[in-house]
Amino acid sequence: MTEWIAALLLMAGSLLMMLAALGAVRMPDLLMRMHATTKAGALGSGLIMLAAAVFFGSAEVWARVLAIIAFIMLTAPVAAHMIGRAGYFVGVPLWGRILRDDLKGRYDTDNHSLESPAEFNERRQHEDRRDQ
Amino acid sequence: MLEIVIWLSFAILSLSLLLSFVRLLRGPSLPDRVVALELMASLTVGFIGVHAIASQRFAFLDVAMVLALTAFLAAVGFARFLEKRGMHADD
Amino acid sequence: MGGFAWNILLALIWVAVSGNISGAGLFTGFVLGYIILGLTLREVPVFSAYVRRVPKIFMFACYFAKELVRSNLRVAWDVVTPTHYMKPAVIAVPLDARTEGEIALVANLISLTPGTLSLDVSTDRRCLYLHVMYLDDLEETRAQIKQFEARVLELLR
Repeated sequence: MTEWIAALLLMAGSLLMMLAALGAVRMPDLLMRMHATTKAGALGSGLIMLAAAVFFGSAEVWARVLAIIAFIMLTAPVAAHMIGRAGYFVGVPLWGRILRDDLKGRYDTDNHSLESPAEFNERRQHEDRRDQ
Repeated sequence: MLEIVIWLSFAILSLSLLLSFVRLLRGPSLPDRVVALELMASLTVGFIGVHAIASQRFAFLDVAMVLALTAFLAAVGFARFLEKRGMHADD
Repeated sequence: MGGFAWNILLALIWVAVSGNISGAGLFTGFVLGYIILGLTLREVPVFSAYVRRVPKIFMFACYFAKELVRSNLRVAWDVVTPTHYMKPAVIAVPLDARTEGEIALVANLISLTPGTLSLDVSTDRRCLYLHVMYLDDLEETRAQIKQFEARVLELLR
């Protein structure tokens, strides 16, 4: 019984990993590649770890596996945030068919602080008045 | 049953490693390559998990934990580096 | 989290008394300890808050798992099929979460549900910028994210 569950989890995990890799190759821009790799990658390795826990079944393995899964789930989004942000500063081009880009012009290129929409509109109005 | 599934997942993971290597080579920008490296690290974590089951030694899971940790630190380091470099790209 | 510590203590006592030192034994002890706390110590405020919180966390875990599977399938479909149906956009969503811990948890969970990826939080912490893969309707997407955030905050507060 446990073997079957482990096999199922293993298969699902490796297929998700495959999906992440396919996404990384096929998606058109950096942000969409990150969509595929962070989520499917994290979930895939989590499922494989879970398969190991089910297979061994002892308390120490379960503790280790839960620690690894918690760690992966905590760090994958943080890494994605850091890389996405870096991509913005490096100037990675976005896909041509993007519908909207609210981040455009909101970063301060000197000290890397980020404005909220309210601040952005205020600054725009201020600049418009100054120009007139 | 489990035997076959283990070999199948080894095959699938190898193929995925190959695919992410394609992304690593093709780029086109540096952050894309960092994403590919990130993915390769989590694929390796998966590999270690499958190997732990195949060899029936759970001590390998410790390796997976350490690898996940270092991969995260590497990604953060790369991102910091790129951000700093992007800052000076204009001058 | 005093209630949680007491629950763990009860679980450990169960493991010691039953002599069944394993993951299953610990889990049984935890469930039994929770039932004991719920039945006998409801009048103590610390325990009653804890007893009410556990089912909520469990429900949220189920909801999150469901979302994770559902949206992974959608992204999977798009990765596998040759044509791209994506309608990507970077949108700004106002945040109700205030403390750093709340913002970090909300942003992380949003990143883990496929279809949305949180990119950055504005320096004044009022607004979260995220990348959406399928923007069918701006207001509807924003409302969905606000609803998700409300569910997360309900657990924390």
